Amino acid sequence: MRSSSPARRDRERRFAALAALTLAGFALMVLGLLRLQVAEHQRYRQLSEENRVRLEVLRAPRGEIVDRNGQLLADSYPSFNIVFRPMPAESTERARAAVRPEWLQRVSALVEADTTVVRQLVRVANRSGKTAVLRRNAPSAVLAAVEESRGELPGLEVVVEPLRRYPHGTLAAHLLGYAGEINDRELAARADEGYRAGDLIGRTGVERSFEGILRGRDGAEYVVVNAMGQRVSTLTEVPPRPPVPGRRLVLTLDLKVQRALEEVMGGVRRGAAVAIDPRDGGILGMVSRPAYDPNEFSHGLTWARWKEISGGGSNPLLDRAIQGLYPPGSTFKIVTMIAALRSGIVRPETQLRPCTGSYAFGGRSFGCWKRSGHGSLDLVSAIQHSCDVYFYQLGLRLGLPRLEATARALGLGGRTGVDLPQESGGLMPSAAWYDRRWGGGRWRKGVLLNLAIGQGEILATPLQLALVAAEASVDGRALRPHVVRRLGDGPPREPERPVQTGVAADAAVWEALHRGLQRAVDTGTGTAARVPGIAVAGKTGTAQNPHGEDHALFVCYAPADHPTIALAFVVENSGHGGTVAAPLAGQTLRRLFLPDSLQRRVPVAAAHADTAEVVRGD
Amino acid sequence: MATRLRPPLLDWPMLCAAGMLLLIGLATVYSATTVPGAHQGLWTKQLVWLVLALGAAWVAARFHYRAHDPLAYPLYGLSLVLLVLVLAVGTSAFGAQRWLDLGPVRFQPSEIAKIATVFVLARRLSHPQLDLTRFRYWFPPLLIALVPFALVAKEPDLGTSLAFPVILIAMYYWAGMPVGNLLLGLSPAATLVVAFVLSPRQAPFWVLVGVALVGLLAVLRPRRLLLVTALVLNVGVGLAMPRVKDHLHDYQLRRIETFLNPDQDPQGAGYQIIQSRIAIGSGGLLGKGWLKGTQKALSFLPMRHTDFIFAVLGEERGLIGALTVVLLYGLIILRGYRLAAVARNGFASLMAVGLVSGLFYHVVVNILMTIGWAPVTGLPLPLLSYGGTALIVNCVQLGLLQNVALRRQEY
Repeated sequence: MRSSSPARRDRERRFAALAALTLAGFALMVLGLLRLQVAEHQRYRQLSEENRVRLEVLRAPRGEIVDRNGQLLADSYPSFNIVFRPMPAESTERARAAVRPEWLQRVSALVEADTTVVRQLVRVANRSGKTAVLRRNAPSAVLAAVEESRGELPGLEVVVEPLRRYPHGTLAAHLLGYAGEINDRELAARADEGYRAGDLIGRTGVERSFEGILRGRDGAEYVVVNAMGQRVSTLTEVPPRPPVPGRRLVLTLDLKVQRALEEVMGGVRRGAAVAIDPRDGGILGMVSRPAYDPNEFSHGLTWARWKEISGGGSNPLLDRAIQGLYPPGSTFKIVTMIAALRSGIVRPETQLRPCTGSYAFGGRSFGCWKRSGHGSLDLVSAIQHSCDVYFYQLGLRLGLPRLEATARALGLGGRTGVDLPQESGGLMPSAAWYDRRWGGGRWRKGVLLNLAIGQGEILATPLQLALVAAEASVDGRALRPHVVRRLGDGPPREPERPVQTGVAADAAVWEALHRGLQRAVDTGTGTAARVPGIAVAGKTGTAQNPHGEDHALFVCYAPADHPTIALAFVVENSGHGGTVAAPLAGQTLRRLFLPDSLQRRVPVAAAHADTAEVVRGD
Repeated sequence: MATRLRPPLLDWPMLCAAGMLLLIGLATVYSATTVPGAHQGLWTKQLVWLVLALGAAWVAARFHYRAHDPLAYPLYGLSLVLLVLVLAVGTSAFGAQRWLDLGPVRFQPSEIAKIATVFVLARRLSHPQLDLTRFRYWFPPLLIALVPFALVAKEPDLGTSLAFPVILIAMYYWAGMPVGNLLLGLSPAATLVVAFVLSPRQAPFWVLVGVALVGLLAVLRPRRLLLVTALVLNVGVGLAMPRVKDHLHDYQLRRIETFLNPDQDPQGAGYQIIQSRIAIGSGGLLGKGWLKGTQKALSFLPMRHTDFIFAVLGEERGLIGALTVVLLYGLIILRGYRLAAVARNGFASLMAVGLVSGLFYHVVVNILMTIGWAPVTGLPLPLLSYGGTALIVNCVQLGLLQNVALRRQEY
């Protein structure tokens, strides 16, 4: 062991280095202990004896939501809550004193609440050590009264909290969604994203699908408080961390379009309307009826009000524009026509067997909506007058696979991938689907007749109907519907790739379609959607409904030669598309395309006289 | 094979220091878990663990370390399997998966992996022809340490995972690696950290890294291959970082930031730090007295019986108690390194350095954390904190050190 070979010396040198490192590490610890326990002991003793350090969360406001022109749709504003902060456990006499009748009386009067309610809140707070909110969003008169008497009322305090505000109330309520307090299950599932009890979280609509952008990051600071629980200063050891507000969200929505849709849909009890920009798939407006006011959720709903809103037959929380499923009715003839033309089984001028008011197939008679019959028609006239018999024959010639392929290529039968939560995909039946439902081969070709005119099992959301109209207007190019145009101050977002493929076909196919749909509005079933000076192309639809009156539908796009807007309207249990839904489209388009002076409403009687012959259906 | 214990050759100072620490630990855990709350009465469990741990320590000391030798690789393999299992089916607490549930007990494979890694590294680095400037000698140990490091870091448990590189560096050094080469090897890791904190798009980053690297290379004058490799690695890391950062989502970035600096979150770890500082600081010179701590009683001090046990000690026993514990640890660690210096067998000497360095790392980081000078990373304090796996493994480590002491004169 005493040898002093080079290896031995090297080892001793390395031992000395490790020992020095060890001593350095321990010196650091000793230094830290001396500083805390000797130099700063007095201060920490004081803090410990009175437990005078309190953590205060500085809530970050959620980001604003604005329309494509920067018009405000949702923001946050500071609201003032009156809270009770429980006393430190050491000063229990003071806590007990706080719940004395006199204190209770005065506080209850201040916050305008029942004494029993306040007593219960204070008890729970004292037991759990957590702050209790006695009154949310207190008006300034109440705040002033609290500030005045706070010195005599230990535990009472005013806390600022950002509150969500939707300045237009019910406008675009379903699209915007609302934010609510996070619940225990969400809290457990999203623990590592930094959520805490009491945080707001987007529940539906854009508030939910862009939660990560809108939500800011809460700040915090440690404050030193006096014996009354009132703030004296900020603790210097831990610098306060300011909250980071959520980012701004710019939607594709156009407030002008949205307003027009809201007003036009004002009289509708249940239904939906969607407006899409066919140039990029951006959603310009979206309305669902009945609606609710998301501001109610910001203020906190009572249980009774929540049941009223969420339950019941009409369910205002349901976003019918993306979750409501309706048979497309005759609006589906657009799809059947595209499928027939692109597969080459007919040409625009092809005449099939004349319409006599009904069509016999498989021992059954399938009626046309016009009992007297349309006579001989070519394809363009058939869509203009929405002749069912012509389309029965098209359906039979097409066969299910080709019809289904075209429908799917245009975005039916599956989710469109819109950036909103809980979208429904609808249903486009296939041969396999019928096999599953009825057993292999146990269904008849007769289903094709119904499918070809949009009845039967097909179901689509109003968004899908608007999407089909938009894609038809731009010659079959697939579109990805979306509502968000820009995140924060970033550049406009490229829309994601469409889910569906779109349809490629000759220019002649599209020319025939545009001509037919334009004629449907000019002199066909959809004349109520006419706008002077603007070429409108559209299709009416009436969906039979076993549970009540028919649903009225209408889809259109305008101007027909250079479309800038595609619309879909669904009005539940209201009658025929041509009389109920098409006028809504007409009013909307007039509001958007005509100067104010020309927005005279076409007298209802005139509109009816125009379509007297087709009023009964399509 | 089993030699009789010869009392005179045991490292008595180390043994006594460890015994005192265990007693202090038990008393402090008792104090921390007698207050009403979720962990009330846990100290009885700790007592059972302690008996088991002492038994395990005796076994570790009793049999010649060469008898443990064939176990090195199987144990290492087993611990890696367990670490993968933790990631797959582990029980999580505080946002990280660290435990395996085995019926009534839960245990932390990362503790076992530490001992296994020391064993394997000691075998590798005690190779008779060892030449640490050659790839085939320095690379395998690097891999051996990095695999458990990565698995534990993934849990995520950055605090524990960093013990592996610390052990590796200490053992490299002890095995004779020139200091310059060690620093050069560490430079890409340093660049990575600097690149994450400073933006590599800004000039200060390149100036800082450039000056440090050129200075290092000028002093070392390494062979050309090594020089090029070091340069490429450092510049590569610097160039890649902004791109990697761009591709990360906001929440991923936030996670990495919290991972590197958990007390950024003032409601979580920051809260613990300030409460821990108040507890220790209010203890003063003599402390408030055993069982008389007020901070711990008010549950202001979370994890008071595990990671923050030192805060309870500092509050109740004051500077005197805290310094006593610090000195006892210092004694164990210095005696441990001394043991490595005098042990004649290369394997035993390296093993001692690895074990002691791991211990050193835990003690320093934990205590600095409780006084607010190191990030909150979830490291227990060896011998003092509540926790079965850690207690047993720490006692086994001390048993192995005594094993080396017993046979320090053997070649």
